[in-house]
Amino acid sequence: MRSRHLSVLLLAALSGVLAVLVGPGLPPADASSYTPITGEGSSWAANAIDDWRASVVNSGIKVNFAPTGSVAGLTGYANGSDDFAASDVPYGIKGTTPGTPGRGFAYVPDVAGGTALMYNLSVGGKKLTNLKLSGSTIAGIFKGSISTWNDAKIKADNPGVALPPLKITPVVRSDGSGSTAQFTLWMKKEFPSVWTCGEVSFFTQCKNYDPTVQQAKSGDNGVAGFVAQAGNAGSIGYVEYSYALQSGYPVAKVLNKAGFYVLPTASNVAVALLKAKVNTDKSDPDTYLTQDLDEVYTDTDPRVYPISSYSYFVVPTALQNGFTSTKGATLGAFVDYALCSGQQSAPTLGYSPLPINLVKAGLAQVKQIPGAAAKNIDIKSCNNPTFSASGVNTLAVNALYPDLCDKTAATATCVYGKPVKGSTSSSSSGQSDNNSVGHHSSSTDNGSSPTTSGGSVPSAGSSPGSSASGPGSSSSGGASGGSNVVSLLNPDGKTACDADTGQCTALAATPVDYTGHEGSTFSRWAIWIAVLALFLIVIAPPAVVLLGRRSQR
Amino acid sequence: MTDDEAIEEVTDQPRKIKLVRDVPDRLFRAVATAGGVTVLLIMLLVGTFLALKAAPALHEAGFSFFTTQAWNPDGKNFGVAAVLVGTILIALVAVAVAVPLSVATALYITEYAPRRMKKILVGIIDLMAAIPSVVYGLWGFFFLQSRLAPVSVWIAQHFGWIPIFKVKGVDSSHPVSSLTLFTSSTLIAGLVVGMMITPVITSIMREVFSQVPMGEREGALGLGATKAGVIRTVVLPFGKGGMIGGTMLGLGRALGETIAVYMIISPVFTIQPHILQSGAISVSSLIALQFAEANSFGLSALMAAGLTLFLMTLVINFAASSVVARSRSGASS
Repeated sequence: MRSRHLSVLLLAALSGVLAVLVGPGLPPADASSYTPITGEGSSWAANAIDDWRASVVNSGIKVNFAPTGSVAGLTGYANGSDDFAASDVPYGIKGTTPGTPGRGFAYVPDVAGGTALMYNLSVGGKKLTNLKLSGSTIAGIFKGSISTWNDAKIKADNPGVALPPLKITPVVRSDGSGSTAQFTLWMKKEFPSVWTCGEVSFFTQCKNYDPTVQQAKSGDNGVAGFVAQAGNAGSIGYVEYSYALQSGYPVAKVLNKAGFYVLPTASNVAVALLKAKVNTDKSDPDTYLTQDLDEVYTDTDPRVYPISSYSYFVVPTALQNGFTSTKGATLGAFVDYALCSGQQSAPTLGYSPLPINLVKAGLAQVKQIPGAAAKNIDIKSCNNPTFSASGVNTLAVNALYPDLCDKTAATATCVYGKPVKGSTSSSSSGQSDNNSVGHHSSSTDNGSSPTTSGGSVPSAGSSPGSSASGPGSSSSGGASGGSNVVSLLNPDGKTACDADTGQCTALAATPVDYTGHEGSTFSRWAIWIAVLALFLIVIAPPAVVLLGRRSQR
Repeated sequence: MTDDEAIEEVTDQPRKIKLVRDVPDRLFRAVATAGGVTVLLIMLLVGTFLALKAAPALHEAGFSFFTTQAWNPDGKNFGVAAVLVGTILIALVAVAVAVPLSVATALYITEYAPRRMKKILVGIIDLMAAIPSVVYGLWGFFFLQSRLAPVSVWIAQHFGWIPIFKVKGVDSSHPVSSLTLFTSSTLIAGLVVGMMITPVITSIMREVFSQVPMGEREGALGLGATKAGVIRTVVLPFGKGGMIGGTMLGLGRALGETIAVYMIISPVFTIQPHILQSGAISVSSLIALQFAEANSFGLSALMAAGLTLFLMTLVINFAASSVVARSRSGASS
């Protein structure tokens, strides 16, 4: 009797809760002005896109996005099932992407990043953190023609480092990916004599792929996770820079055309992309509006990281396939946000903010979206971290220059601390970057190659808005007596890494400014009620049964 | 006489049985029939869909689809020879690990374990079946792989003369440098998949072993058999059908396992029979790897590979069910 009473009560409570949840419904915030839009595509840029979606939802802009991969995005857009797509690669790459779609489209740059070469190598019992590689060496390594770490070409890049006679295991992507496409494009354009495979999305389809030489792993996480396993010494893989940062393993400094070995930090990538062009030659429909990175690869600014690239939004330029001008208004507002304020979060997420030239080109493309609010965004109020309110390109002016020790033919005994220009150098003998845009530093400096005598960190705190050694960096490399514990920290020093697997977990999330509306207290309550209801649904039936049994006894 | 005639007039006929089904009965019949038909229909539709989507690729490749090892749909050079062999190799390693383990576990649970222990073990095995495959994949990739590599090295050093344990490219003067040659192998993928199919096989075998008639056990004991003798002469012969059926079901699942294999292997598109060597492939992981970035023809090729796997699994499951149905224990399982 008692149990039935109880269950009736519980049922009543449950139905009440459900009624509250289903009943009135939440009044949409400012949804009157914006129609929801849907897109899919690049998983490379997905972290940034998700961040922007979360930020604009409070202004009533609802954007649905599925990170299904670049080619899937391009296909979905061409079929008309998406309002927009995100892609790392343009239409019409033979054998990789679908041909130019029948509906009108334009490419808008969305976020930039550097392809980092993450490695796992010890010299004399200590993790090497100052590996320098030239482009042709990299191409040789991934082709398989350079097979041991003590190869003469690698030695030439790293004078004085006692490289071990270890086999090199290049780690590549086993799934189709934009990173592979961008990495192979760079090798194809710059080192055609070494890299003969061309630009491919699937590394495994390349004729240079041999499973006894390369290891293929799925996703950036798979590549980073493989390299970061202690047992896989001698491996080197290409990943988006953020994954290397998180894994706690160092990335190689890559030689640029100015003769400097540089890290793929946000500043170095952003400086490089100042030379990126949007191809505006209408005569060739295959390359019209695609990215032209040739001048990035050959830029002679000493700060340039050569393997830099950016990802696109593919946006409609005509009212076709169910695209309406109200949707255009939503898409226009979203892309405008992404190009300006949205770029603020790029360095925290492991990307680079787009430089001024690409933002200008992008904003010009947004005007082609039918229905997009024809507001002329003043470049001064854009709020992009790479240029100032006065329109001055702060990035090109303020980005620090690399150290003279990172120049080619620097002696093995070179002491870090003298930049090419200015008073603080952006690089050190380890993995640190002293720039104000996306600065980070690591404690792996002390684990650098034993032959480069005592890597000194450039004078701390002299660069505006950054501290050379980072707020939370703790040095553990020396303390743990040769156990090779590496604790490279992210910009905030809030990650901890497992020495065994190399996997890192965020101890504290990066703070996000979230301006909530007054009305959101109700939704918060609704969430709690829903959680409670779910809990009850799970707990209540067995509890009722148990209680019933007891009362019968 | 008249009496006799009267009797003869009433011919001996069986009573006509009229079947009257009431509404609830008819309703229940309808629902049950609909369920059965729907399952068949869904299977049929899946098969048809795969065949339709695969048609362009199969048409393009022709019979070479089954003999080509490479997988390059964009270059029109693709086939399932290597992929199918890889799939079967992984599944065989999995079954080779899982079956002995399952037989022993099931026998312990039904024959030897005390009641309390029995309950706990059954619970744990059910729990093992409930762990999502991605968790097994993560475990295999981050934990098992680096620890198993030295074991593989040992096997290769001592048993390398057996062809399947051979590993190419080992530098014996510098053993550490070749450790990566032993990662991402068929063996590791097979072991992880083996862990995943163990609970399925174990619970079927346990069910069958527990149904061995008490009379036969007592008969064997009465004839002076030991416990081991009872198991050997009564339990195992009675459970043979169930054991084969369970193994086949496990094999079917191993053939289709996707995400754990996807995370562990480094794909290889040549027939690679060396199970310790880095590099393995399976149909389902190939689909998972290439699906996102495939164009329409590539997708069609993947569908064709999927169709092959679908048919292969179907055949194996049919074979399994026929074996189970023919055996004594199968009648009740």
